Amino acid sequence: MEFLNPAALYAALFLPLLLIPYLIRGRPRRQIFSSLILLKEFASRSSGRTWGRLYLPPIFFLQLLLLLLLVLALGEPVFSIRPVKIAIVLDNSASMQALEGRKSRFELAQDEVSGILRDLGARSRVDLYLLVPRLERIGEEAMAPSKAMALIRTLSPYDLGDSAVNYGGRFSSLVEEKGYERLFFLTDHPVQGQGGVIKAVSLGGPKDNFAISSLELLRSSFISSQLEARVEITSFASREGKMKVTLKGAGKILASKAITVVPGKVATTSFAGLPPHPYYEAEIDAKDALALDNHRFAVPSLSADLKILAISPRPQSLASLSSIPGVTLKVISPEGYAKSEEAQHSLEVFHFSAPSVLPHHHALFVLPPKDNPLVAEEKSLSRPVISFWRDPHPLTRYVNFALLRPNYARTLRPLSVGEPIIQSPEGPLAIAFESQGYRYLVLGFDPFPYLGRQNLPVSIFTLNLLSWFYEGRGGSSLPTGEPLELQDGTLVTPKQDRFQIKKGSPLFSRTFYQGLYQVTRGGEKEWIAANLAGAKESDLNNPVPVDLTGEASRPGSRSSLFSLWPYLLLLSILLLFLEWYFNPPVTQS
Amino acid sequence: MLPAPFTADFLNRLEALRLRTRKEVLGSRPGSYSSPHRGTSLEFADYRRYSPGDDIRYLDWGVYARTERLYVKLFREEVDLFVYLFLDASGSMAFPSAQEKFSPASHTALALAYVVLANHDHVKLHLLQESSAAPASPFYRGRHRIISCVDFVSEVSPKGPLDFAHSLGEHLRRIHRPGKAIICSDFLMSASSYQRGLNLLRAFNLDIAVIQTLSPQEVNPAFARGSLALWDSETQEEIKLQWSTELLRAYRARLDHHNLELRSFCHQSGIHYSLFVTDRDLSEFVLETLPAIGLFR
Repeated sequence: MEFLNPAALYAALFLPLLLIPYLIRGRPRRQIFSSLILLKEFASRSSGRTWGRLYLPPIFFLQLLLLLLLVLALGEPVFSIRPVKIAIVLDNSASMQALEGRKSRFELAQDEVSGILRDLGARSRVDLYLLVPRLERIGEEAMAPSKAMALIRTLSPYDLGDSAVNYGGRFSSLVEEKGYERLFFLTDHPVQGQGGVIKAVSLGGPKDNFAISSLELLRSSFISSQLEARVEITSFASREGKMKVTLKGAGKILASKAITVVPGKVATTSFAGLPPHPYYEAEIDAKDALALDNHRFAVPSLSADLKILAISPRPQSLASLSSIPGVTLKVISPEGYAKSEEAQHSLEVFHFSAPSVLPHHHALFVLPPKDNPLVAEEKSLSRPVISFWRDPHPLTRYVNFALLRPNYARTLRPLSVGEPIIQSPEGPLAIAFESQGYRYLVLGFDPFPYLGRQNLPVSIFTLNLLSWFYEGRGGSSLPTGEPLELQDGTLVTPKQDRFQIKKGSPLFSRTFYQGLYQVTRGGEKEWIAANLAGAKESDLNNPVPVDLTGEASRPGSRSSLFSLWPYLLLLSILLLFLEWYFNPPVTQS
Repeated sequence: MLPAPFTADFLNRLEALRLRTRKEVLGSRPGSYSSPHRGTSLEFADYRRYSPGDDIRYLDWGVYARTERLYVKLFREEVDLFVYLFLDASGSMAFPSAQEKFSPASHTALALAYVVLANHDHVKLHLLQESSAAPASPFYRGRHRIISCVDFVSEVSPKGPLDFAHSLGEHLRRIHRPGKAIICSDFLMSASSYQRGLNLLRAFNLDIAVIQTLSPQEVNPAFARGSLALWDSETQEEIKLQWSTELLRAYRARLDHHNLELRSFCHQSGIHYSLFVTDRDLSEFVLETLPAIGLFR
């Protein structure tokens, strides 16, 4: 027997409250009687009772039973009839790697699944599903329990975050399509609103965790070979964390620093003057539940030059860009861009123009027209005041925004999730986007005509934005799960799996693990870093609840649950009548 | 104004009744009750040798013819009856209310008083209360004095504790003529207490009748189950108990035993005994139950 609404059973804790009326009744009611001469002997008999003043008549136990039955009925008890066709959905997201004692949450889930499969009959058939990167069946369809158990033991969680969408609706459509009698969902998220056919098993509890949320490799200038690493550590713990941050270059320890992280806050530390290495790794030695986010990888930009393809109807405005050391500029018209197959540049500057779809390059949009894919332009402003800017941010470093007053600007409204970098009181003037490893910046003003000593803030801002694109060039790191666009060669994953990439192959999408992906092309080696993205997986103290309220009321082909609560309710009503019969209202004299 | 139960029909039927005594009484006037003295009634009592001066009308000439000795016939004297009605006016008679217990008891006493008055006998009402004054009415005679009896009773409010024997003793100090004593009380007291009181009356050579009056709430208390603190209406004593069906049964058994003990004592002592539960019809009790125990002839 199991309960569909087990939280209601906590109401049983209130059952002792039933004693209160009896305790109150136990306080003697004062009555006058003509003569007590015949009652005195009974008074001495009742005072010798073991229970003292509390008198519990048999009707009390009847009432207790009645309330107990009602509480049980509220818990919606069901008898599980051995289901024949079931589905098991396993949450294999990164947070399932968190340790609960000696075992990880994923291992606990494997044990739970083993228990579920053991209870099934030999005729039962099982479908296994993994939750990330998307809800997808693994293994054969309709496996025998023993085979499913063997498959489950081979699985391990990915270094991916889950999307925490409306699983209730998706699961119920799965149940309806495939005709499952029961669907077991094993996750480390708290579950809301689970129903009859879908049974969620929530594993693990709140845990303290520290995570490296960012590792940035910065260059002081385009031509400098020295790097600076900036490490950002976020605390998801309720206690202060003291730890050592170690920075490694190509596997060798380069530097380390001690750092203290306040609960719920972010601490940043930086390592300057780093020698060039093909890849870098930051590590913290925090003793926490999730080891995965204690590491983070980054790859620096390969070459010093920044090749820019500018698309502009006003090429003369961009002439000043070519005067910046380390920048190579090629300007084409918007019409020419459609025909161009230029791929050697690392930054595209859309000056008063925009492509119909987002380019597969880093891109700067300066006052884009209305039909651009990133922002909608709103108000036109003359010499706007900058009232807000992101600080610290690579784009706003060293800029005196009190002096940055472009002659003309337009406020922007992002069409997708973007980060406002500069704002005027009327709205954002610069918004940064990041998608599929590419950086996009949209400006509501044109900085290029004013480069030079005459307008230092604009010049510094322009250098900042070029540096920002420069750092992002080649991608210092990708989020796990992001597909890799490769030409050809051999790819070695962090798990040391080898894949041969042929020319014209589709995107490599199996970037499920955090670490370094090595691409060997001819004699050259290229490194791509992939890191766990998002704070949701690292925040083990406040996991996002999974909502199953969309579960379908119609079960699969055959109901595997036999509901008991209507019978308990009927029994309660019968007991109520019995109680009324034995304990009718007494007319007090 | 007579109380409600005293309808014309009820009064007519009461007038047909006469109290029965088991003893000879000493009356002050000719009446219908036997006296120990010789008198002029039609009932022959004895012979006595003739002595000069005797009324020769009472000589038994038949005896003289057989024995040649003169004997005069003696006849019983018939006198009127003195009835003493003792009415319990202690606090216990006001449970659950005076209207539900004391009033029915006083109506019983008034009905008996009316029977006495209708027969031109004497009746006196005594109140049993904790008072050294021992309140009592004067002797009434003649049926019109029933109003005085009603007035006397209606002024009484039952209250206070009662020492039954002591209170009876106080009243008996002022009783000089033997007659019939009728006691209307709940007798919710110890056996020794009522036995001492009734023995006192016996010592005064009174012909005694006991009417035990109980309210239905005393016979079958309807307390709600649970803890109960009961106060004695007379002594203010408090006891605590857990009221239950089981305890109700035990109480009723104890009350039955108490009543049986009282009844046995009365039978052994030549006392008329009857139990009147106040939810009964008064006329039915007076006209059927009391004649059945031999209180009337």
